[in-house]
Amino acid sequence: MFDINIKNLKEYFKIAFKTITTRRVRSWLTTIGIIIGVFLIVSLLSLSQGLKSGVMNELNRMGKDLITIMPGDITNITSMISGLKLTNDDLSIIKKTEGVKTLVAMDYTTVVVRYNNQKKTTMVYGADWRADLDIFKSDMGWSLAEGRWPNPGKAEAVVGSIIAKDIFPGIKAGNEITIKGRKFIVTGILNSVGTKDDDSMVGIDLNLFKSVTGERTGAKMALAKIKPNYSPEFVAEKLKSNLNENRKRQIGQKENESSYTVLTSATMANIVGNIMGLIQAVIIGFASIAIVVGGIGIMNTMYTSVRERTKEIGIMKAIGAKNGTIVTIFLIESGIFGMLGGIGGTLLGLIFAKAIEMYFQIHPLFYLKADVGPGLILFSITFSFAVGCISGYFPARAASKLKPVDALRYE
Amino acid sequence: MPEALIKLENVWKVYKLGEIDLSVLKGINLEIMPESFVTIMGPSGSGKSTLMYLLGLLDTPSKGKIYLQGKDTSNFSEDRLAEVRGKKIGFIFQQFNLLQNLTALENVMLPMIFQGIPEEKRKQKAKQLLESVNLAQRINHKPSEMSGGEQQRIAIARSLVNDPEILIADEPTGNLDSTTGKTVMEILKKLHEEQKKTIVVVTHDPTIAHYSHNIIHIQDGQIRANHFEDEKVLWEQENNIKNV
Repeated sequence: MFDINIKNLKEYFKIAFKTITTRRVRSWLTTIGIIIGVFLIVSLLSLSQGLKSGVMNELNRMGKDLITIMPGDITNITSMISGLKLTNDDLSIIKKTEGVKTLVAMDYTTVVVRYNNQKKTTMVYGADWRADLDIFKSDMGWSLAEGRWPNPGKAEAVVGSIIAKDIFPGIKAGNEITIKGRKFIVTGILNSVGTKDDDSMVGIDLNLFKSVTGERTGAKMALAKIKPNYSPEFVAEKLKSNLNENRKRQIGQKENESSYTVLTSATMANIVGNIMGLIQAVIIGFASIAIVVGGIGIMNTMYTSVRERTKEIGIMKAIGAKNGTIVTIFLIESGIFGMLGGIGGTLLGLIFAKAIEMYFQIHPLFYLKADVGPGLILFSITFSFAVGCISGYFPARAASKLKPVDALRYE
Repeated sequence: MPEALIKLENVWKVYKLGEIDLSVLKGINLEIMPESFVTIMGPSGSGKSTLMYLLGLLDTPSKGKIYLQGKDTSNFSEDRLAEVRGKKIGFIFQQFNLLQNLTALENVMLPMIFQGIPEEKRKQKAKQLLESVNLAQRINHKPSEMSGGEQQRIAIARSLVNDPEILIADEPTGNLDSTTGKTVMEILKKLHEEQKKTIVVVTHDPTIAHYSHNIIHIQDGQIRANHFEDEKVLWEQENNIKNV
């Protein structure tokens, strides 16, 4: 079927290339069809892959021995958005559950913060500096860019990197901020932990947080650090059943219903992985359609080309070209369209993804890095090359089946 | 008697035009002997072009057999036919039929590519042939940049690259003025005399015929006359030409 003499292939490449360069405009238009599809795949996949690994890094930084407890069932949206809190009762149950070593109750709220006559609404966070600082440092990746940590019980605060950069630009350790009329000294500025939410927080002493904000009981969520030799899954199960038992006793909640979401870092990673996987599958699906449409463009061009070059095909057959030779020449031509489209699309996709990455470095809404592996590049180029060859196959076969006499007489 | 290079045995070519069968060739019997120079003549519509395509194995007969050096070509696969055309037959067309994207040199090398001949040898041979038709200075020009006579000389060079047994020329001077046409015919004559090439020229131009030794006159799809050079009287009548 094909003429795959290597020596000849080189020559056929030359012939195909000459044809492509003689019909410049059409070749460009044909290639653009593929470029768009590949561009979509490369840019969107690299960004979503970057987003995924960013989130995964975040989760991995959170220690494997941490369990997150949130009120409401994660599978039931309405229970999640109703602003539920964990009660003091819940917190003491968590503390007493088998396998739990320490508990970090995390409470935060949005308030107006003032600095140098500027008023900004931001997230303020209550922290028990004495008990929980180690967990912040080791499990949540907090570290100081400058200054020192606040002393427990003092009106002192640390601010996230975005606060120092964008919200109150120029704020330094030693400056004063006002939260609900109460003055706090900024003792330190944190390094970025990678998410916009975390980096735009102000952290103050838990007891002062309670008195300043009026959020006196409970917590928005809790982190439980487990004892060594306990498996996170086991403790998570225990926590869930203990909390639900208690809730049942109190308000007669039905069997099989859960008012809590208990996540180990592994299950969180799973959930994120699944969501991102789904997003990527959708992207690949749509972008593949674009490439297939590009392939139809190639097919159209090749059929036109076969018509226009009917006489040429006749000549080549008259001077000794076999059917396989004709197929090969046309396949190479359509393969080149696919390949060029693949390379062009990959380059454009890379440029676009890197531009987006740079944009987010300047405006850090969230951590986003374009993740372009050699696998993705190889895949896009191979895939588009294959689409080119497949689209070229039928026109190529049509060309090879022409009878030499008919092709020569064609005007 | 030596074996015929190409032998046609009761060859018919019938085209189906809707309901009507149009017989273009009606039972042609013909032998092309090695080292002969044959002219096939006839008015347009006589079937001479169809005959040329059959002789060149570019077409297959509706009925009858074509033998190439004694072998029945009706058993040949398409690839075998392509190979035979590439190796044993050289074509020269009225329209030159060069590939417009390729330079003179590349056009001449093309048939050798199909035969898998190494690049060095291809280049050398093609250059040598282009020199022999006085185109050494023009080898990197494309056909569109050349005159008709030059293009036809490229085509001749191309037809010779694989050392074919037979050259088949279809109205080789049809698109050329008389002086250029003469140059082309002189080249063919020289090839026949010096290299003993078998040459078949299809034409309706009697002035061309005097180069050949054998004139086959075809009319309405049948051979009306088959004259050899020694039949002097008939020869001159047929051609309507005085001694040149």
